[in-house]
Amino acid sequence: MLLEVRDLHVEFRTRDGIAQAVNGVSYGVDAGETLAVLGESGSGKSVTAQAVMGILDSPPGRITGGQILFQGRDLLRLKEEERRRIRGAELAMIFQDALSALNPVLTVGDQLGEMFIVHRGMSRKDARAHAVALMDRVHIPGAAHRVRDYPHQFSGGMRQRIMIAMALALEPALIIADEPTTALDVTVQAQVMDLLAELRREYRMGLVLITHDLGVVADVADRIAVMYAGRVVESAPVHDIYKAPAHPYTRGLLDSVPRLDQKGGRLYAIKGLPPNLMAIPSGCAFHPRCPLARDVCRTDVPPLHTVAKNRASACHFWKECLHDRD
Amino acid sequence: MPEQPPYEPEGAMAATGTGGTMDLAASEATTLEKTPGGPGGTGPEGKPRSLWSDAWHDLRRNPVFLASALVILFLVVLAIRPSLIAPGNPLSCDLSKALDGSRAGHPFGYDGQGCDVYTRTVHGARTSVTVGVCATLGVALLGSVLGGLAGYFGRGWDAVLSRITDTFFAIPVLLGGLVLLSVVTSTTVWPVVGFIVLLGWPQISRIARGAVITAKQNDYVLAARALGASDSRILLRHIAPNAVAPVIVVATIALGTYIALEATLSYLGVGLKPPSVSWGIDISAASPYIRNAPHALLWPSGALAITVLAFIMLGDAVRDALDPKLR
Amino acid sequence: MTGTEPILEVSGLVKHYPLTRGILVKKQIGAVRAVDGVDFTLGRGETLGIVGESGCGKSTVARLLVSLEKPTAGAIRYRGEDITGLSPRALKAVRRNIQMVFQDPYTSLNPRMTVGDIIGEPYEIHPEAAPRGDRRRRVRDLLDVVGLNPEYINRYPHQFSGGQRQRIGIARGLALRPEIIVADEPVSALDVSVQAQVINLLAGLQEEFGLSYVFIAHDLSIVRHISDRVAVMYLGRIVEQGSHTEIYDHPTHPYTQALLSAVPVPDPEAREHRERIILGGDVPSPAHIPSGCRFRTRCWKAQERCVREVPLLAVPETLRTAGGPAAHDSACHFAENSLAGRELR
Repeated sequence: MLLEVRDLHVEFRTRDGIAQAVNGVSYGVDAGETLAVLGESGSGKSVTAQAVMGILDSPPGRITGGQILFQGRDLLRLKEEERRRIRGAELAMIFQDALSALNPVLTVGDQLGEMFIVHRGMSRKDARAHAVALMDRVHIPGAAHRVRDYPHQFSGGMRQRIMIAMALALEPALIIADEPTTALDVTVQAQVMDLLAELRREYRMGLVLITHDLGVVADVADRIAVMYAGRVVESAPVHDIYKAPAHPYTRGLLDSVPRLDQKGGRLYAIKGLPPNLMAIPSGCAFHPRCPLARDVCRTDVPPLHTVAKNRASACHFWKECLHDRD
Repeated sequence: MPEQPPYEPEGAMAATGTGGTMDLAASEATTLEKTPGGPGGTGPEGKPRSLWSDAWHDLRRNPVFLASALVILFLVVLAIRPSLIAPGNPLSCDLSKALDGSRAGHPFGYDGQGCDVYTRTVHGARTSVTVGVCATLGVALLGSVLGGLAGYFGRGWDAVLSRITDTFFAIPVLLGGLVLLSVVTSTTVWPVVGFIVLLGWPQISRIARGAVITAKQNDYVLAARALGASDSRILLRHIAPNAVAPVIVVATIALGTYIALEATLSYLGVGLKPPSVSWGIDISAASPYIRNAPHALLWPSGALAITVLAFIMLGDAVRDALDPKLR
Repeated sequence: MTGTEPILEVSGLVKHYPLTRGILVKKQIGAVRAVDGVDFTLGRGETLGIVGESGCGKSTVARLLVSLEKPTAGAIRYRGEDITGLSPRALKAVRRNIQMVFQDPYTSLNPRMTVGDIIGEPYEIHPEAAPRGDRRRRVRDLLDVVGLNPEYINRYPHQFSGGQRQRIGIARGLALRPEIIVADEPVSALDVSVQAQVINLLAGLQEEFGLSYVFIAHDLSIVRHISDRVAVMYLGRIVEQGSHTEIYDHPTHPYTQALLSAVPVPDPEAREHRERIILGGDVPSPAHIPSGCRFRTRCWKAQERCVREVPLLAVPETLRTAGGPAAHDSACHFAENSLAGRELR
């Protein structure tokens, strides 16, 4: 395993109380694999990624337990100095909002080049040449002279390409992409997802794709981890999960998405509201919204049951859920 | 979740767009299930909490607010009834006691004219509070009306007002005070109040203009307009309540600085003039004796410093309460 | 449920925002052509979906429809009467019948007002709509209609989640019993599981009150769910419009075809056999619209003719003779039913 998150716990201290953002998340990614972490707002998917990257804002955030094993080493036990060296070189991140993630007063060439100067000790001139090559690599037209432009001079899609180029610069082993296409239009989104898939194949990187979009997941992911209220509730290879979800939340999500390939009619809607992280329901956090909920769900936290090879579901009644579908 | 600071646990703050609470989200999950048109749910009658009551809830537990509010309350009481704790006459002086130290019944000693420092310091609160409150009210009223209109109507109004405020910002306060106030002979507080209002309103008008422009861009203003609401309704019902918070904060902090400004002007001899009782006048009068009778300088200066600090801290506390995201 | 009699007719609608230079003497140096000649009709009880990417002018169309902006040219006829040049008093009366639901449930509700005041405000602005003594009851009824507990009438918006806030916004839009609701991306700010709730609510309300919707979205799959007819916008113009089946199963404009093929389908089986059109480049700026066909800079079919000649929105000659669902309005010189027979899933 390239990256393995084990039983991670993160909480946020706010003025209204403690928000349990991540409550025992475990997932793993192999080299060359794409893991989609699927969840709605409040599921803890981004917080987990920030903890892995070591960019969690603390305070108010605090990691209260668990391990993050990257290439066999527990990142949480490393010194900040060592983590910084890994960040960027081995582990890179792509953010949703490229405009705010890029520095507006530096040219994109300077920002790309800086990676090489800081991590590889290159000269300014070599770094610039590498920056141009990178921009070519992510298909930015006219890279040689656009390298002197500032971020705001690029369109949204082009900026996201620059973000990808920056993440790619030092050929990291793993890239975490946090909703990389959410802010983009559909046609541009397709371009960017295509580019990411192409680069991942070429560099044999691991990719953690954080998203709420079931369509994007189906298009690019190998495996899926579905998160709810700070836990992974189901993990499975992508084909299995769409064919037969083993958790009622996953099933609800799949049924509630309006699909291009299906005609109108009433949508299935998951009842109720996403959980409040200040007061996560007892037992299974999904029970107030779950059609299968019974007494045991209110009292006992469901463990991750092994459903099949490489498949797990945190539902007491996963068997029922699987069969319901057929 | 676009454009949220990364430290917020995603979604934990989702229900708190404007910094409120999210304690109800869980309890509401049950009532939401009911289908449209179905029987009315019987959810818990949660207490309605406006942003103001949320702010007050916060302020009540903030020691900085409590301390500064206590100091200010005390000052206001002194300003209204100084004789409560200082029955003497601040103008009755006895030159033979000049610069004497403290003694029974006269804890702060005497100043260079032989006046009782305790009585004068207590009575000085009235002038300071009067100048501060009146100047702030004037500044806030003038500034928010002009700034608010400029922000709301924009274009010509805005361009003209912006140039005027720029002009006023260019006037050095002390120089302006020395020039303008030196020709005034009145011994009341009004020339000073008038001067502060004249130079102070552009600051508030800028704040008000910005706040109105921010509030104006919200969709709820569009929604009201789409309903056919009039300009006055939009301004009073939708924009003013949402734009008033920064004005209150800045005005509170400004109140403290206006008190300091009055003292400065009085010290320079162009603010209040004797026989008015003012900390600035007393500080000015006592400064030659700083070596042999520091007490005459210490008490009015201390009172001034505490007063100004109290208002500034109050403003900070109010700001924190009204906009928790600023922390 | 589709009515034949049009309740709203839009013709030649144009909205240009002048670009000026200079501080004192303003000189116009160009214009952002946000909406650049749009025509459509909306039938009673019908839902028209308007789809397009950011910057295509769909939100501007929404604002023009509810008279939040004045059009540069063109007419918007409500029941045959042009509402673009109405006096303020007459306009106010028309507003009762055309209401809007906004995209962002966080900024569209005044945080200083209670839910009761927000939903009741339409009655204060239009006192003739409901007698004073009856308003409180009506607000409670509206809360019930949109699936919220009427007991919440005294709460403030920040005490609600995004989905609940959107319900409050919908209740406000319903208060005056309008005939038309213009919904500008009403679910795109919501979580997936909540989106479905709100879509179902809107569909239910349409049946209950016989509403006509103009439903604006960037998301083709949601529009497919709720719309009877669909108009696809690109750079200020409608490039293709038609019924649900015509657009989704027989798109003839290359832009629509690309949009449809770019939407990710939540089905991993489909990804291997799905044919995808990936457009190059970005949408040009509405301040510099290409000559001829505005889509030509990204179109794989573009030829000399597309540079010179503006394609009109009409049934293309080549498809008219064949008839069938492919024969619908499409603004392309080389329109063809190329998706026919191609399996979308």
